[in-house]
Amino acid sequence: MLLEIRDIHVHYGKIAALKGVSVDVDEGEIVTLIGANGAGKSTTLKTISGLRPLSSGRIVFGGRNISKVAGHKRVLMGIGQAPEGRGIFPGMTVTENLFMGAYARKGNVEKDLKEVFDLFPRLAERKDQAGGTMSGGEQQMLAIGRALMTQPKVLLLDEPSMGLAPKLIQQIFSIIQEINRRGTTVLLVEQNAQQALQIAHRAYVLETGAVVKSAPAGELLDDPQVRAAYLGGGAESAI
Amino acid sequence: MNDSSSGNPLTRVRGAYSSATDSIRDRWSGAPSWVRWLVYAVLIVLALFLPADGIGSFMSPYTDWPTLLFFPIGGYILLGIGLNVVVGQAGLLDLGYVAFFAIGGYAMAVFGVKFGWSFWEILLVGIVLSALSGIILGAPTLRLRGDYLAIVTLGFGEIVRITANNTNYIGGPNGIGGIPHPPSFSEWTIPDNGLFDALGIGGVQPFKYGALDGKPYYYLMLLVIVLAIIFVKRLENSRVGRAWASIREDEDAAELMGVPTFKFKLAAFAIGAAIGGATGVVYASQAVSIIPTNFPFILSATILAAVVLGGSGNLPGVILGSFLVAWIPERIRGLQEYRVLVFGAVLVLLMVFRPEGLLPSRRRKAELAEGSGGMGSMGAEVAGPATVAAGEVSE
Repeated sequence: MLLEIRDIHVHYGKIAALKGVSVDVDEGEIVTLIGANGAGKSTTLKTISGLRPLSSGRIVFGGRNISKVAGHKRVLMGIGQAPEGRGIFPGMTVTENLFMGAYARKGNVEKDLKEVFDLFPRLAERKDQAGGTMSGGEQQMLAIGRALMTQPKVLLLDEPSMGLAPKLIQQIFSIIQEINRRGTTVLLVEQNAQQALQIAHRAYVLETGAVVKSAPAGELLDDPQVRAAYLGGGAESAI
Repeated sequence: MNDSSSGNPLTRVRGAYSSATDSIRDRWSGAPSWVRWLVYAVLIVLALFLPADGIGSFMSPYTDWPTLLFFPIGGYILLGIGLNVVVGQAGLLDLGYVAFFAIGGYAMAVFGVKFGWSFWEILLVGIVLSALSGIILGAPTLRLRGDYLAIVTLGFGEIVRITANNTNYIGGPNGIGGIPHPPSFSEWTIPDNGLFDALGIGGVQPFKYGALDGKPYYYLMLLVIVLAIIFVKRLENSRVGRAWASIREDEDAAELMGVPTFKFKLAAFAIGAAIGGATGVVYASQAVSIIPTNFPFILSATILAAVVLGGSGNLPGVILGSFLVAWIPERIRGLQEYRVLVFGAVLVLLMVFRPEGLLPSRRRKAELAEGSGGMGSMGAEVAGPATVAAGEVSE
């Protein structure tokens, strides 16, 4: 198992955001976490990448317990994240943003840069433009490209479809599949459950800080409960 | 970005000014390095002749110009350079910066008066002490962000001043008097002949630190400023500078890129504090006596205003801003009690006219347009003219 999350609890002050979440991610997989707003999906990702401390439980990455490792050190171990709301550096150019992805490591960066530009030709066209002046879709590409520059073993993606037009969402998701095909494990957090379940191998359903269901993604696509709650299938759908 | 073509007259003037500064900046960044060095050399030579009487009679009809150049002008510029590291580069809002100025000043006073150390030794000690106090302040508080950090630093500034006020060893409210001047290097006098007389600096002894002439102190301050600029500029263009920029623009993202954000924030605090401390030492070496009320909160606010006014993050802007903030109140001394009112009005006007500062860096402009970065951490999500609220629809 590449990444094991065992019964983690996370608190914002006194409020429990995660109440015992366990997730496994195997090498080469696309795993997705779906769930409503406030279910704890983003918090789970932030805890894995070290932006949030956990109150109990543990995170094991590549056989090593990293629960207490600082966030910036987890990057070097192979955890790359494209944060929620993209989090690109608005004042830096596209190229500078991408180089930030390689900030912590030594070695040949040009090759990785070429690979990212290969994956996102749009970024190559705009390589000298300030990140903050790009469209939402381009910023999302930049955020993913920058995370790839860290040479991640597992890529954490936090709502890559947020605020994007349907056509762009399609494009982003097919790129995620391509990244996975090239050998990077992906842990994907999405509200857009339909899309996420279509490309993922396995999925976890989160509700109010706990996993309520886990199954191969295809199964969940047909699950009546999941359809009703997250895919807009049932008449009594809450959304 | 460029909204100069339409709109009301104010917008048009702003647009014209903006494109003028943009074109200067572009030409500057495209200039070969020998041109730059030439400009630096010319600027330093000009600064050497700045205290001349002819310039002074226009710039400062009410106060002794060389003394004014030393402090507040030179002092504010040095403080501005230091605070810019913290606010402009790392994007941390520090409202208690005066504390480090005070620590430097008191270091000079205590070690000079009670231990008889010389200025140069104390300069070193003062820098180390204030850097350490920056780390002591930063270590527990830099986990806070934005407004919360601002409040804690504000408290720190007050704690230092009030502690000085209540500590008998350092004179309490009466402060410390009889602070020694720096030892004189030489009695060498600039020849009193036609050329130097015409330039207005004939007969000056630039390396003799006495009680009367302000010019030698100005040259001392100038030397420290130039060294600080070189130091800060080198940092800005290094890995450290890149790390600071990323922290300023998005701290979480910086951590996700493998930037040890806490360490770099602490470094920014320590370096900013060190420059503040150096200013304090130099200031006290001329002032003869210092008292706690030399270090009020309003000085922190004024330096911050200078940094923001000039263009936070951009060194020429910060220097210009500090100069204006120090000089304008002295220049309009003739207005007597209306002085502060006019000064405030000028600051308000300048900020209406140039919300991003007089000489902002290009990067800062992009950050402001995005409504994030540096000043975003003030809790004010400043929406730039071209910003449409990002389409982050949650449902």
